[in-house]
Amino acid sequence: MKAFLKVFASIRLAIILLIILAIASVLGTLIPQQRSLEEYTARYGQLSGLLIRLQLTRLYHSIWYLTLLGLFALNIIICTLTRLSPKLRKALRPHIQTEVKSLLALKVKDRYKKNAPLPEVKAELEKSLASSGYRLRTEGRDFKVCLLARKKILGIFGSDVVHLGLLIILAGGIVSGLTSVRKDLALKEGESLPVPRASFEIRLDKFTTEYYPDGSIKAWKSAVTVIENAAPVLAKTIVVNKPLTYRGYSFYQTSYGWNWDHPAVEIWSKKKSDPAFVKKLKLKVGEKIALDDKDQTSISVARFIPDFVLGEGNEPQTRSLQPNNPAAFVEGFQGGEKIFSGWIFANFPDMDRIHAAKPTDLSFELKSFEAGQYSVLEAARDPGANLIWIGCILTMLGLGLAFYWPPWEIKAVLEESQGKTEVIAGGIATKSRDSFRSEFEKIVTSARRTK
Amino acid sequence: MSESTLFVITFILYILSAFFYLTFLFSKEPARAKPGSLLAVAGLIIHTAALAVRTVESGHAPFTNMYESLSFLAWASVLAFVVIDKKFKIPKIGPYIMLIVIGLMALASSPIMPKEATPLVPALQSYWLWLHVSVTLLGEAFFAVAFITSIMYLAAKEIDKKEKWDSVSYRCVAVGFPLFTLGGLVFGMVWAYKAWGTYWSWDPKEVWSLITWFVFALYLHTRIVMGWKGKRSAVIAIIGFLAALFTYFGVNYLLAGLHSYA
Repeated sequence: MKAFLKVFASIRLAIILLIILAIASVLGTLIPQQRSLEEYTARYGQLSGLLIRLQLTRLYHSIWYLTLLGLFALNIIICTLTRLSPKLRKALRPHIQTEVKSLLALKVKDRYKKNAPLPEVKAELEKSLASSGYRLRTEGRDFKVCLLARKKILGIFGSDVVHLGLLIILAGGIVSGLTSVRKDLALKEGESLPVPRASFEIRLDKFTTEYYPDGSIKAWKSAVTVIENAAPVLAKTIVVNKPLTYRGYSFYQTSYGWNWDHPAVEIWSKKKSDPAFVKKLKLKVGEKIALDDKDQTSISVARFIPDFVLGEGNEPQTRSLQPNNPAAFVEGFQGGEKIFSGWIFANFPDMDRIHAAKPTDLSFELKSFEAGQYSVLEAARDPGANLIWIGCILTMLGLGLAFYWPPWEIKAVLEESQGKTEVIAGGIATKSRDSFRSEFEKIVTSARRTK
Repeated sequence: MSESTLFVITFILYILSAFFYLTFLFSKEPARAKPGSLLAVAGLIIHTAALAVRTVESGHAPFTNMYESLSFLAWASVLAFVVIDKKFKIPKIGPYIMLIVIGLMALASSPIMPKEATPLVPALQSYWLWLHVSVTLLGEAFFAVAFITSIMYLAAKEIDKKEKWDSVSYRCVAVGFPLFTLGGLVFGMVWAYKAWGTYWSWDPKEVWSLITWFVFALYLHTRIVMGWKGKRSAVIAIIGFLAALFTYFGVNYLLAGLHSYA
């Protein structure tokens, strides 16, 4: 136990761990993390098996990296605790210097003599120190008094507060890792979905994309309503950087896409024999619409594919959900009988793939299409996040204390002999030594001058 | 006056400042450093105006692409130098800082950097952009000064000069480290949480700022607890700045990740 404590109380271990953690972290940025096996095999060949076994492909979640972090945390705890009790003793029950020799060994020091009894000289010095914000302790009486004056003593705990903050951040990370809930909700307009492990639903009322004049995206906006016990309780528009928060859950705008189930298309019908003839038709996929009442022809769009490609066996399919190569399958009817059918393409209006039982004079062009969009909202609940913020505040507070709230200490020995009192004073500052020196001089000068 | 005109004037002032500092360096006449420092301050003022005009014209913070962020880093480096020089009177690092600043400005104005202000993508539309980037780059500017003073330490021969460079390096880290922690890590986590719903995703830029932070934590612990000073401290500070530089620059061009803005 003693040996264990000794190892973990050492600053050397902290330094070794910092170096190992830094090197390991570098490694994780050089090897792409959490990719597919194929990608690793293509990239590293024979080596990929070893990389995966050593968990280098998911390094920051690997047993050994987490173990390093655990050892680091333990090291911080034990280092901080073993150094804390002497610090507390120093802050609460300081040792008051009684030796003149050690005062004179300090870098900042002064001595003076006054023709006055000790209590008077002491009162002057104390007044001068107190007016600069020092808190005083004295020891001894009659002809020899030792005095200890200190300020900003909290500064000695700066590093401890930083360490506490870091430990809370690590704890927050553990809580997040174990308890956070995260799920993407893909919602069409008007649709509602239950939030995982919660007692309410979220409904997408409207999804809009706003563009800048140059065509780039300005904003995605999801107007949503929170529904609890079948009743709407809250309505808000979610945009990137402005999530909705409700009952510990946050909802983020993360993605969007098109809903290609029932797009509306605009088709222009033309006659090869009559260039002046153009009939513009707007219809939904699956809907049948009259083309010509005289000969009782009608058409319908049986299928719509946003990114047309021919797959295996010449089967039409979509390559992606983006409208890169939109195509519609048109069918023509006459009196209930199918007379022609075929694919037409928005990007290739001249490509005629209409197959007809009887020769037809008609041609079709896919002019435009409108599809509803869906919005992807991430529902997240992360109970660890609050610990992270507390840890961050403590870390910053601690850094402020450690760097900019240095403890200052002035010690003095007052001795009276034959009605004269001699004062020997010295000061200690670990940081901001120049400003401390000038304050020390100011205090001593003003105490010396008073009559 | 347009932003590009102000930028050019700033660039000229910085070049003149570097010129005077260099003549000071070679002549060793302290009087030559004065115009160098005045020109640096004048450049800083015009540069501030250029950044302000850019902000007003584009309607967003002046560090959303590489041109803007290089210009801002140059501004922050001059600011850090002016502050440190005022406090510690170290005109000797003037020529080196101004040469680095000129390098940053030249890189910013090179034809490969698109200069036009583009509208903000949704992910960057947040006031955290101001807080996160400006505080981080300011911290890194102080690391840059510490980098130069550490090199000066290694190059110096007289013991009292060495001591001075060592102490100035430490003071720069003492300013840079809290700024970098606040801007880079804390504000970064808060913003990531607001925009993406997760405060930490082990993205290469995040990991590299953590690595930078580890290196400076090492600097502080070896120095304060173990009493390392001088040479070893200087080497760690140099490594720390190189890590910060890689976080800022290298990650964008060499590693892919979430931080694909600037």
